[in-house]
Amino acid sequence: MEIDLALIELGVIMLTLAVLGRIALRIGLPTIPFFLVAGLFFGNGGVVAIEEAEPFIEVGASLGVIFLLFLLGLEYTPLELRQSMRSNARAGGIDVVLNVVPGVVCGLILGWGALGAIVLGGVTYISSSGIIAKLLTDLGRLGNRETPIVLSLLVIEDLVMAVFLPVIAIALSGGSLVGGVISGALSALLVVLVLRYSDKAGTGIAMIVGRSSNELALIMLLGLATFVAGVAERLHISYAIGAFMLGIAISGPVAERARELLLPLRDSFAALFFVYFALNVEPSELLPLLLPALALAVMSAVSKWTTGMLAARMSGLGKKAALRTAVTLIPRGEFSIVLAGLASTNAVGQDLMSLVVLYVLILAVGGSMLIKFTK
Amino acid sequence: MEIFEIALPGIGIRYEFDTSTGRRIGVLVHRDGRRELLIYCKGDEDSCSESLDLDQSEAAALVELFGGTKITERLSDLKHDVQGLAIEWVTVPTTSPLAGRSIGDGQIRSRTSASVVAVLRNEISIPGPGPEFVFQPGDIALVTGTHDGVAAASRIIAG
Repeated sequence: MEIDLALIELGVIMLTLAVLGRIALRIGLPTIPFFLVAGLFFGNGGVVAIEEAEPFIEVGASLGVIFLLFLLGLEYTPLELRQSMRSNARAGGIDVVLNVVPGVVCGLILGWGALGAIVLGGVTYISSSGIIAKLLTDLGRLGNRETPIVLSLLVIEDLVMAVFLPVIAIALSGGSLVGGVISGALSALLVVLVLRYSDKAGTGIAMIVGRSSNELALIMLLGLATFVAGVAERLHISYAIGAFMLGIAISGPVAERARELLLPLRDSFAALFFVYFALNVEPSELLPLLLPALALAVMSAVSKWTTGMLAARMSGLGKKAALRTAVTLIPRGEFSIVLAGLASTNAVGQDLMSLVVLYVLILAVGGSMLIKFTK
Repeated sequence: MEIFEIALPGIGIRYEFDTSTGRRIGVLVHRDGRRELLIYCKGDEDSCSESLDLDQSEAAALVELFGGTKITERLSDLKHDVQGLAIEWVTVPTTSPLAGRSIGDGQIRSRTSASVVAVLRNEISIPGPGPEFVFQPGDIALVTGTHDGVAAASRIIAG
């Protein structure tokens, strides 16, 4: 790696992201699709190829995933997770069934094998809590009656992912399905333990972090997050889930502080992650996948819409609120990308990533617009 | 009046209730202490038509302004909670032996075991008045204790 070239490349990428981010903000759209486009532009077969900075971006991208998931975990307290699961368990179940199906069916039709189909099922299942939570805040809809239902469903989805991801991770790394199930069970056990005992473990971390200066707290949180993520990866639970669990285990004022300290880091490294993901996608491969991506987007938008309608009916919402629930769940984003990223080494990984880039582009932009225009 | 408490995972807690005029209002307490005042659409309680961000000092100021009546409500809730606890509002008449004299002078606590826990004067609440607090005619004293104690204290104050 030649350091001067690498720095120049990195600088150009970041500046491009800054400009694109500004445009996104101006027209009120999420930044993720814009960052993906930037990655396509700079990547293999793109307009300007990035070479020297790639190793750094690769490490930065995994840090991005760790911070994304760590902060996602910090958002939730174990109590909220338990409450959400109790009060919306049925809607959560419907969500899984209805929204895994489009991906699985599409994967099978494309001939991607059981594994590819299951990964794609995960991609269509998981809504983007990042995009949705931000839109709800920006549009002043936190007070609406459908908001708690939407948020609860997002929480449940994230938890389901915590069990699903390890199974996928081990199956993808060439392990047997039995191995996958074992690590999935291990992870499920971890989820239960964290939900049950994290109050105590969290207090320990809280005491140490709480007493430190900002500088030391930040360094400690960084060390903790990367270390736990690394150990989780070593145990084939996936580093993303390690970071997520750590985030859940920490709650209270310390979580608040950790979020404040880590937010700028997350924003910069997550941006790198989205770029890195799209760097490895050849723009010329996108065209033949456009039709399948559109079909998948429409199918899974309809399935999410149905999920939202059913969930709203179970909670006795009025017509307008039900419609908002249905539409709000449609955007897909960061988690779909994380999932597809895991599968990049798979035989159909390349096609999968191309499809998911298109899919997220369509649903992140289209879903956000639908939410805005549904009053 | 029933106040609903709704958890918003990752954001905070939302409290809301319906007014007697049929409107719904709410307060969203963010994790970081920020408050949002929520006003719901007329005729569509599912939709929030107005949300107003308040920082901690603004929220405190609003509470201050609403404070006088809030105590009454909280106490009427309390009545249902504690068995055997009596709570009574007693107006101090001009003829009261305690008008112009302090709580300590009346020896309310030692004679009746009930205590004056708050006084409303001109719509302003004075919580936890000390024994040196001097009554004025027109004050409304909030007396709490056992049923007998409160009854006895009311007689002393009313004269």
